Amino acid sequence: MALSAELYYLIPEIILLSGACLVLVLDAVLGKEQWSFTYTLTQLLLLATAGAILFVDPGQAVTVLGGNFILDPLGVLLKVSICLVALPVFFYGHDYNLEHGLHKGEYYILGLFAILGMLVMASAGTLLTVYLGLELLSLSLYAMVAMNRDSRMASEAAMKYFVLGALASGMLLYGISMLYGATGTLQLAGLANAIAGQTDNTLILTFGLIFVIVGIAFKLGAVPFHMWVPDVYEGAPTSVTLFISSVPKIAAFAMAMRVLVDGMQPLAGDWQGMLIILSVLSMIAGNVIAIAQTNIKRMFAYSTISHVGFLLLGIIAARPAGYAAAMFYVLVYSLMSMGGFAMVILLGRKGKEADLLEDFKGLSERSPWFAFVMLILMFSMAGVPPFLGFWAKWFVIMEVIRAGFPMLAGIAVFFSVIGAYYYIRIIKLMYFDKPLEMKAIKSSRQMRTVLSLNALSLLILGLWPPLLMALCLKAIGL
Amino acid sequence: MIEQTLFYIAAAVLVFAASAVITVRNPVVAALTLVLCFFCNAAIWLLLEAEFLAIVLVLVYVGAVMVLFLFVVMMLDINIAELRKGFSGFLPIGVTVALIMVISMVLVLASGYFAGPEYVPLKHAAEYSNTRELGLLLYSEYLYPFEIAGAILLVAIVAAIALTHRRAKNNKSPAPGTQVAVKREDRIRLVKMKTEQQS
Amino acid sequence: MIALQQVLVLGAILFCISVAGIFINRKNVLILLMCIELMLLSVNLNFIAFSHFLGNIHGQVFVFFILTVAAAESAIGLAILVVLFRNRGTINVTELDSMKG
Repeated sequence: MALSAELYYLIPEIILLSGACLVLVLDAVLGKEQWSFTYTLTQLLLLATAGAILFVDPGQAVTVLGGNFILDPLGVLLKVSICLVALPVFFYGHDYNLEHGLHKGEYYILGLFAILGMLVMASAGTLLTVYLGLELLSLSLYAMVAMNRDSRMASEAAMKYFVLGALASGMLLYGISMLYGATGTLQLAGLANAIAGQTDNTLILTFGLIFVIVGIAFKLGAVPFHMWVPDVYEGAPTSVTLFISSVPKIAAFAMAMRVLVDGMQPLAGDWQGMLIILSVLSMIAGNVIAIAQTNIKRMFAYSTISHVGFLLLGIIAARPAGYAAAMFYVLVYSLMSMGGFAMVILLGRKGKEADLLEDFKGLSERSPWFAFVMLILMFSMAGVPPFLGFWAKWFVIMEVIRAGFPMLAGIAVFFSVIGAYYYIRIIKLMYFDKPLEMKAIKSSRQMRTVLSLNALSLLILGLWPPLLMALCLKAIGL
Repeated sequence: MIEQTLFYIAAAVLVFAASAVITVRNPVVAALTLVLCFFCNAAIWLLLEAEFLAIVLVLVYVGAVMVLFLFVVMMLDINIAELRKGFSGFLPIGVTVALIMVISMVLVLASGYFAGPEYVPLKHAAEYSNTRELGLLLYSEYLYPFEIAGAILLVAIVAAIALTHRRAKNNKSPAPGTQVAVKREDRIRLVKMKTEQQS
Repeated sequence: MIALQQVLVLGAILFCISVAGIFINRKNVLILLMCIELMLLSVNLNFIAFSHFLGNIHGQVFVFFILTVAAAESAIGLAILVVLFRNRGTINVTELDSMKG
């Protein structure tokens, strides 16, 4: 293929990169007064990118640019969902930044670069592009966490995130170097072929795999590599926490799919065992430690950890149906997590963050509708039918049973019941406790509309789960 | 034989310098021993016929990154005495973990897997140029990663400026833009008044 | 003639020294950043050794990109360090106790 024909498939990335540079220049030139312009442009750019991805969708797997870039149905769905999930995330983030005086164009610019990194990861064809996409994402996120320069907590959180993240990258790279040494290739497809060819001595491959899994677990925030998650969630400005908790999880899933499934499917027996340990520990630690939290951002952090445990269940099944279930889970999770943090943003005011559990006390008296919205979000996260969160858990657990791990499914059910406790505690706080203050909730009409739609989508899609599931199955090729 | 000797010398200095990096208390000394590590590594890379990268390591790493480190160390006026305290607390754990790791890693790596016939270096012709080969690959097969690397460097610039650049709070100099935009009417007021009579 | 295993063992030793350094120097962020550089150096050594002994230059291309990213990474790390120092007046991590880990 000629270079121009190959670049055709890169149009979305090219649009995003040149758009991000344009936003960067305009933001520097335009000055403080028009800084909402940066936000508008960011949203338009994301829409354009999502449209471009659908436009170039080849409908089958296409590998271009020396094998570095793969566009297949999985990549298309993940990339479109990354862009579409980022739209409301920037919307909520913008509302928070307005309210709390974080008038910074960097939030949107670094956010756009982070999204570019995620798109690179989602269509990576070699270990090199996986690594570069991951670094583009991580470096932007480190800087975003420290964005509020006068906050001590934010800079501490950024430092912890940076050191642990860099350590994780180092581990991942060591693993990649071993895989390269054992097979002599960096291409994911070539790696899978080479692994399938050498079944007699897999010692070095397994050795490399351990380091790769540690790297992926760090980025996903799975126990025992979760130390950064609660601190970063609590320390970062809520608009950044919102971003970190939702969109990059889709990219982390994409990375796990590319590396473990595209690159190392023949080693599935080895990585299944390692992921089972990570998954069980995450479900235990996430659900149990969350109960002890008084800060809702920290609580959501542990809740994320337990959700990662569930997400891994789908990959552990090591079959296409399992991957589709895991993809369903990660999409649903990003919707729920986004809504949860949007509630925290909604209740906060200038100079005060509503990040304590007690800020939710008596919410039903202050605003019955938003108490109901939070109720939908909490029930969905806890996995109560008929909300979407229930179906996400249901699909992964069914897949784990079909793959022959009934014990693991039992553990998952048990800990999701324990986890339900701390979600339902919030509902109790909202409906049965007296409010600390009776101030009405001040927010823009758009914020109310988007948040309500976000929560209602969990209910409506939950009534007809095959709709979203069909998309996931199609992307996996079933 | 000479290669073996050179390798062992470089490796010994490298391990010594790396241990020094993590144990000395003074960040300036640590940064300088890290520079020594880079030099030894570059020497080993030369023995492994990676000439271009060996030179880049010295030029970019020693010349730019380590200077940046030293610059920050000097700028931040760090209280070294304070950092001395409480060092030995983690020493036993750190050393134990490292020893266990190093033993298991060496056992795996020296298990004979990498002694196979496919791991024999190629003999290059005399006119072989490492730089040329790398350049050819970089601008053809690795064009896409090369562009991403550009984006990563841009993010680093944006992030570093966004995080550390601040305008001085007590800066009293006027903004050049407003100065240039000043019109005559803003500064000069023509007042009509009667000529005063001399008394 | 250097053997591949010798270089790999050297890489492993270097990697473990850097991990030990991260354990030992939990307090001093500057040295933590240097330990991360050391870790990337050991990975680069591995790649170059494999590249040489496999007669396959792709490993060297990877090292080229790791060097680029590591430079960007240390720039951001030092920027965060400067912000931290301005807020706290110290880079001692044990005093980073505003949050329970």
